[in-house]
Amino acid sequence: MERVNMSQQKHEQLSAFMDGEHADQDLIKQISQDGALHGNWQRYHLVRATLRNELPPQIQLDIATSVAAALEHEPVILAPNKSRWQQLPLVGNVIPMVKNVGQLAIAASVAVAVVFAVQQYNQPVEIQPGNDGLGFGMGVQGGMSPVSLEQTQTVPVANQYELLEQRRRINALLIDHHQQMRLKQLQMQSQQGEVVELEPEQETPQQ
Amino acid sequence: MKWLIGALSFFYISAASAADVDSETDARQWLGNMAQAMQSLNYDMSLVILQPGGTVEPYRWRHGVIDGKTVEHLSMLNGPGRDVVRVDNVVSYFEPNVPAFSIHSTSINGPISGTLLRNPSALTASYDFVLVGRSRVAGRATQQIRIISRDKSRYGYSLWLDQETSLPLKLDMLDSQGKVLEQVQITSVAVTVNAEESLQNVDVANLPEVLIANPAAANAHRWYAGWLPDGMEEIMRDRHRLPVTGAPVDYLLLSDGLIDVSVYVQPVGDATTGEQAFRVGSDTYFSTQIGQLTVTIVGKLPPQTANRIAQSLVVKVP
Repeated sequence: MERVNMSQQKHEQLSAFMDGEHADQDLIKQISQDGALHGNWQRYHLVRATLRNELPPQIQLDIATSVAAALEHEPVILAPNKSRWQQLPLVGNVIPMVKNVGQLAIAASVAVAVVFAVQQYNQPVEIQPGNDGLGFGMGVQGGMSPVSLEQTQTVPVANQYELLEQRRRINALLIDHHQQMRLKQLQMQSQQGEVVELEPEQETPQQ
Repeated sequence: MKWLIGALSFFYISAASAADVDSETDARQWLGNMAQAMQSLNYDMSLVILQPGGTVEPYRWRHGVIDGKTVEHLSMLNGPGRDVVRVDNVVSYFEPNVPAFSIHSTSINGPISGTLLRNPSALTASYDFVLVGRSRVAGRATQQIRIISRDKSRYGYSLWLDQETSLPLKLDMLDSQGKVLEQVQITSVAVTVNAEESLQNVDVANLPEVLIANPAAANAHRWYAGWLPDGMEEIMRDRHRLPVTGAPVDYLLLSDGLIDVSVYVQPVGDATTGEQAFRVGSDTYFSTQIGQLTVTIVGKLPPQTANRIAQSLVVKVP
């Protein structure tokens, strides 16, 4: 039970170490010495690389071992063993470069996509003949916006004359509303009884 | 453990409701101070009325107390101009295309409701006032107050009052989603010891003649609204002809102190329009057909409320 917990803990530490969240010398030592952890370390990296789609075109699964082997051979044989190019320490440098190129390619393609999209959005709006923006909504009066009442219907207006008539009627009501608001004090007084005559042309001023 | 949570939540709730009461009283206190300031200070304000997607109207608003007389001048700065001058309880309107006239009133029907500015306690039947927080408006420290329709049938407002003078510096009208429908924004304000010079030069003796109304009761119609939002009342009723078209209408003016709502009843003409609802600036225009009648409602109220008022209209025989 204790051992299971121990190894569980080590795996967690290893995982944290890979994410760059946990770094102490003990762990590094353990990883380099403990074969099981060592194997995990490699597998985790492989999984991560696969998930991130960063695998190099040629997969050399056991780079670390081959590098170690190469290093072991090095002091003995002064010239590097060139029988398998993958065994060269250089490979360790090439792989990150491949990775970087891949990332660069992704970044570049995103940038292209953004530039493309911006161009799309900035296309000047084509002006359709007959659509000058004035035929908005019910076309009653500039500055009117339909409100969000569900029953609202756009009433088809048969012809220009009827549209003008409708506009006139609506304008009349709006003007009257504002006049009545102004005259309300006057009317309220009249209801309270301070009453005399009113000149009608002043009550409904001519427009 | 449970009893502890219970006790804590009890304290929390009682503290919260106590805070609500405080907030309500404080808000009324603030509004009382505002009403006092509006009538006693000498001020000169520039303000704009903004309607998102609509127009911007700049105004200048001056008020002064000169030898015990209050003089107020509201002037629209764009276009042909519109001036309203009040000397004590006479309000004179000077507008293009209309002969100048005066009426008896204690307030100018301006960008902000006169009832809100002078007698805010009259609005408590319709609205709740809640103290919100402090912020900065027009370069000054302000206290924000929310004005909320009690029955949610009208738009809500946010009012910002100057902490130093209690003068209003901003008023937003908001729909139920919190979208701003109209903003009154004071852009500069100067409070002075003496009234502004032009106010002192108002020719009090030569104001236009005061208009006095005739009793309209003689030919009053018998339309009544069966349902009205809380605190809204019928202010007047008559039968008159519309400007421009000259069409006769049966007319009702409703008000809750903050907003005025006009109700028009007309016979359906040859052109049937069905139901229409749209916004003109911050006014809602709502029109519907009920039987052989067209009922039109205009005012700063949600179209749903307008519809409800329209549907509730009944004829009453006295």
